[in-house]
Amino acid sequence: MPPSIAELVPEYIRAFEAYTPSRPDPVLMRQYGVDHLHRLNNNENALGPPPAARKVIEAFESMRSAIYPSGDSYALRTVLAERFGKDPERFLVGNGSCEVIASVIKAFCEKGDNIITADKTFAVYEWVAEFSGFEARLIPLNNWGFDPDAMLAAMDSRTKILFVCNPNNPTGTWWDRDTMERFLRGVGGRAIVVIDEAYCEYVDDERFPDGMELMERHKNVVVFRTFSKMYALAGLRVGYVCGQKEVVDYIRRTHIVYSVNAMGQPAAAAALMDDAEHIAATRLMVAEAKGLLLPAFDELGLNYVSNAGNFVMVETPASDSLIYRQLMRRGIMVRTMTGFRFPNWIRISTVQLPVMQDFLAAFREVLAVVGGDPA
Amino acid sequence: MSASTSNHSAQHQLVLELPSDTAFLPSAAAAAENAAQVFGLDRNGALRLALAVEEFFAYLCRHAGREEPIRLTLSDGGTLTRADFRFRAGEVSLRALNFAASVDMDSGEDAELGLLVAARTTDRCGLTRSGPDVFHVSAEVDRAYPEAEPQSAPQHLTAPLRLEPAPASGVVQHAALLAAGRYPARLRPHSFSRPARFADMVATGQYQVLLALDTVGRPAGLICWRNSGRRAVVFSGPYVFDPALAQDTARLLTEGFLARVARTEALCAFSERPTEDLPHGWFEALGSLTLHGAPDGGDDGKGEAQPVDQPAFFRHLREDAGAAVWAHPDLFPFLRREYDRLAFSRDLLAAEPTAPARLPAHSLLATTLDRLRGLAVLRPMLDGRDFEANLKAHVEAIREQDMRDILLHLDLAEPWQGALFPALSACGFAPRLVLPHAGDSDILVCQHAPVHS
Ligand SMILES: Cc1ncc(COP(=O)(O)O)c(C=O)c1O
Repeated sequence: MPPSIAELVPEYIRAFEAYTPSRPDPVLMRQYGVDHLHRLNNNENALGPPPAARKVIEAFESMRSAIYPSGDSYALRTVLAERFGKDPERFLVGNGSCEVIASVIKAFCEKGDNIITADKTFAVYEWVAEFSGFEARLIPLNNWGFDPDAMLAAMDSRTKILFVCNPNNPTGTWWDRDTMERFLRGVGGRAIVVIDEAYCEYVDDERFPDGMELMERHKNVVVFRTFSKMYALAGLRVGYVCGQKEVVDYIRRTHIVYSVNAMGQPAAAAALMDDAEHIAATRLMVAEAKGLLLPAFDELGLNYVSNAGNFVMVETPASDSLIYRQLMRRGIMVRTMTGFRFPNWIRISTVQLPVMQDFLAAFREVLAVVGGDPA
Repeated sequence: MSASTSNHSAQHQLVLELPSDTAFLPSAAAAAENAAQVFGLDRNGALRLALAVEEFFAYLCRHAGREEPIRLTLSDGGTLTRADFRFRAGEVSLRALNFAASVDMDSGEDAELGLLVAARTTDRCGLTRSGPDVFHVSAEVDRAYPEAEPQSAPQHLTAPLRLEPAPASGVVQHAALLAAGRYPARLRPHSFSRPARFADMVATGQYQVLLALDTVGRPAGLICWRNSGRRAVVFSGPYVFDPALAQDTARLLTEGFLARVARTEALCAFSERPTEDLPHGWFEALGSLTLHGAPDGGDDGKGEAQPVDQPAFFRHLREDAGAAVWAHPDLFPFLRREYDRLAFSRDLLAAEPTAPARLPAHSLLATTLDRLRGLAVLRPMLDGRDFEANLKAHVEAIREQDMRDILLHLDLAEPWQGALFPALSACGFAPRLVLPHAGDSDILVCQHAPVHS
């Protein structure tokens, strides 16, 4: 007898739970019965894109939508090449840096290989590896930061890639130059080292290692950067990978062309050319927000972790998902941290002061409500 | 602990396609008996399974669609052997699949049929569905394992503790006995007092386990869990062995457990039997069920004299995206109160019963029976004009089986299920708990008012 549709699907697909992104704002607002929603969940830059990028977006002619974009982001790569003083061939642009994570794993891993990263970091490295059938060796954080020695100790002959999130999402910790140098010497070129610098523009410290420079001395270093965070172009999905030409050539073979859209490419290029004031203003906003939040958390007697990046983590006296639902009822959307393996912590993106004040007022109310919750 | 644990890295399976003709009855029964013995059941267990298979098959030959063969899959579940019949049913014959339908149908010769017999000879049986008209009836018989003495000697362990994600079978067995020595039967899996069985369940993936060990590798605590449907995990514990280290042990285990399930397909974690050691503030109370347990106390030999209030705890593993649920307006007060208390955003949509003229004559209820726990769970599969009568008949038939606890699950993603509430109410069921996202949407658990003896 013919099978039912469910029976046609392989077991590992039936078991696979697709990542469910949050619902659109109007739907969430109606469901939670609120007339506004502050998104503090995705570490977006609430200032919006730099002025030059805005101009490009506003001037985008609808007829250009009929035309395919540059399949390999040619003009954007030229701008990146000038900015970082490297050959344009050493850049590969993707539909957000998430896309290039998959490309790198596909390029270097085969059956039986493994990747190494931290247990409490951005989930996509681990997810892509596991769903592609490769082992992800997850090294516990040490004092909230990546543990270089334990990562080196976990390497074996089948280790192909080590992912270092610098600064780390969600703890904001980062390795300084010495730590990074020692680590790279320890790896000794035996595997690819991906340094994900999604939040590097938020760090204003000369001890912070620049991956763009490291890769000139360590040929196995590959750097990820994104226009989603500091540059506030998350909705246009542009990120890239940079490395030695030979390394990038291999990654390009697994990469989908035409994945970056026609508005995103010129907007990203414009954002790079006009970023000094924007970066300064964003850093100021983040500093002011942390200046408000951290003393408030101290006063509430809550543990928090705040280092580099436009986010802070705070430990809650109840399940993070309960706090999330209660905050949503007050028009505030944060990120629950169970999925980052920090159960009972939430992460808050740092934005303008009035919104931070709204958040604090709602958070205080919620703590009072859940304070006496049993179990 | 003399029983050897088997290493089931490759699970065995025997698959037969049988024409729906009772002439093949001996083939089905012989295959079941043989497979069960190969898969590790003793002679008595193998005969019990063969008997159930014989009953099922005869039953399906009478009532399932004739055009297509019936597929019998006998599989090795490590600690049990399962017989699963997959068949296609036309609307006419569906009625016969009701657990209770056989009581009053085809008067005379078929007074006791199919699932009723299987319920007596097997440890668990039930009806499920894998396509619009593709159904499965399955039965399980457990392997026999020796009982072992719980260990209640106080443990004096040395911190700091560490987690062991992949403990060896011997250590798992030792930890199970320590937990059995410190916690009452209702707070732990039955298999803790048959530790070789528990270790086999872990080895075959029916349970996942995480141990805490002290500085010299002695077990300090245990937490275990299993999948419940596609989106939920159900855990037991945490069990801690040295009261002096209770808080640290429980926190380490709970955190380790959540870290393990956090990036899987599971949306939420539930507990059937949280211990008092569960860290404060990590889970939300959903409410409780009043459970009587099996009259003979299952395989522990110690029945619960008094009904116990079993609280249910849960937590989400991700953000709740909100949902719409369908329910009869009579349920709104209960649901509003629960959703508000738990701060769940839900659109309550009014589901009115379908006009009788538009319903088929017969409804279908799926029943799963767990003899060890004295527990029956009913799930409506198809609506019909006879729903209320059918449900009443089920309750009576289940009570006759000496099952003292009867639950009914409504998936509130389905308007017709939400609309059934007045009929449930008329049959003595009351709403007890909402399990968020436990089905296609939230599941409403209703409990039949316990009989007073
Ligand atoms: C560490 C890290 N890497 C990469 C990304 C992905 O960015 P995108 O795919 O938007 O470029 C994020 C976004 O949250 C991140 O936190």
